[in-house]
Amino acid sequence: MKQIKYIMLALCILTVWGCQPEEFGPIGSEENILKGLQGTWSLTKVTQKDEDAATKGFPFKELDITNVYAYKDLSIALQGDASGNATNFVITPGNSPKISDFNTGTWAVDNVKAPKVITLKSGTTTSDLTLGSYAELKTGKFYLKKVKKANGKAIVSYTYQFTKK
Amino acid sequence: MELMKKLILAIILTFSAAFAFAQVTFSPATFTSEDEVVITLDVTGTGMAGQNDVYIWMFSNDGVGGGKDASTNGQWGSSSESGKMTKIATNKFTFKFTGTTLFGQSPAELINFGFLGKSKDGTKQTQDFKPYKFDPLVFSPSAFRVFPAKMDATDMTTVNFHQDLTAEQNLQRMFDVKVNLTFFNEGGAVVATRTALVATKESNIRYSYSFIAERLITIPAGTKLGKFSYQFTGSIKDATGANVPTSGPVNEITYTVFN
Repeated sequence: MKQIKYIMLALCILTVWGCQPEEFGPIGSEENILKGLQGTWSLTKVTQKDEDAATKGFPFKELDITNVYAYKDLSIALQGDASGNATNFVITPGNSPKISDFNTGTWAVDNVKAPKVITLKSGTTTSDLTLGSYAELKTGKFYLKKVKKANGKAIVSYTYQFTKK
Repeated sequence: MELMKKLILAIILTFSAAFAFAQVTFSPATFTSEDEVVITLDVTGTGMAGQNDVYIWMFSNDGVGGGKDASTNGQWGSSSESGKMTKIATNKFTFKFTGTTLFGQSPAELINFGFLGKSKDGTKQTQDFKPYKFDPLVFSPSAFRVFPAKMDATDMTTVNFHQDLTAEQNLQRMFDVKVNLTFFNEGGAVVATRTALVATKESNIRYSYSFIAERLITIPAGTKLGKFSYQFTGSIKDATGANVPTSGPVNEITYTVFN
C-alpha cells in the first residue's frame, strides 16, 4: 500500500515536472535583424499620414509626398562593428528635406533580436524612429516611421521606405 | 366637466414626463467622444433614491452595434470603485468621463452611450438613461482644405482647392490656378510672402500645392512661424473671351506646437 502511495507521489511530481514550459527555438535559422539593417540605404518612398484624420475615420488620411522634394537624394549608412553591433550612422541628405535633426552620430535599437525602435543619437540629442515590418528586409527594403505628437496624441506621421544600395 | 378633467390630467402627465427627463444633465451640454464630460444624475423617484453611494454602469453604442461596457463598470454584483459617483447633494450625483478613454473605442466607432445608477452589489438600480449621442467628429467637405489638418513649419503641407465644392461661379470656372502664401510670426507680423505658385491639377475638380514652409521661405534666425495663409487665384473668361483675374478667399492656418 505504501509503495502505491510513493508511486502516486512520484507520478504527481513527474506530471508537474513535465508541465514546465519548454523553450522552442526559431523555425529555421534565426535571422539577425540588427545585422540585416547594417549597410547603406537609399530613401525610395515617403508617405505622410494625418494620424488624427485616420483615428476619426475621415477621408484624406495619407499622401505620397516622395516627389514633392528631392527625398530620393537621401541615403543613410547604418554601420556596425565586427561583432554585428550597431555603431555609427551617417545621413547624406543631398537636396532632400531633413528626416532627422542631425546627420551623424550613433545608432542603437531597443531589442537586438526583435528591434522595434531605432534611436539615432548625436551628443545628448536623440531621435526615435519606429521600425516597420522586417518582411522585406531580405529583399533589401525596410521602413522607418516618425510620429509627431501633441499632448501625447499622434497627429502626423511619416513613413520612410529605404532600399539597400 | 369631463373635458376639463382630461385636460388637467394631460397637463399633469406632461409635467411628470418633463420631470422624469430632467433627471440627467451634462456639462458641457454637447460634447464629442474626445471631450471631458460631467454627468449630473438626480436619483429622486428612482430605485436609488435616498442612497449615499451610487455606482455608474455605462455602455456604448446602444442599439447600433459595436457596443462595449465602460472600463469603470466592474462586475454587476461588485461595481468597481472607479465607477463610484460623487455625491454633491441629497439624491444628486456626478461622474466625469471621456468617451474614448472610458470605452476604449475610437471617435469613429463611438456613436452613443447609455448608463444607469446602481448600488455596489447590484441589488438596487435606476432605470436606463439612454441613448445619448456623442457629437460626431465628422469630416465636413469644403472647397478649401489643408493636409494634414495640423502641422508645423517643418511639415509637408498641401493646400487643396476642390472646384466642385465651391458655390461661387467664378471659382467653379477658374483656370490657370495658382496659389499665394503668406507666412506670419507668432506675433502676427508677416515674415514672407510667395505669390503665383503654380498649383498642380490633381483631377478635373481638384488643384493642390505642396510645400514645407522652412524650405519655401527663409525664416530669419530667432523667428518662429505662428501661422500661414493661402489663397487660390486664377483667371476666368469674360463676355469677349478675354482672361480676367479672379481669386478665392484667404484662409488662415495656425501652426500646431508638437511636444
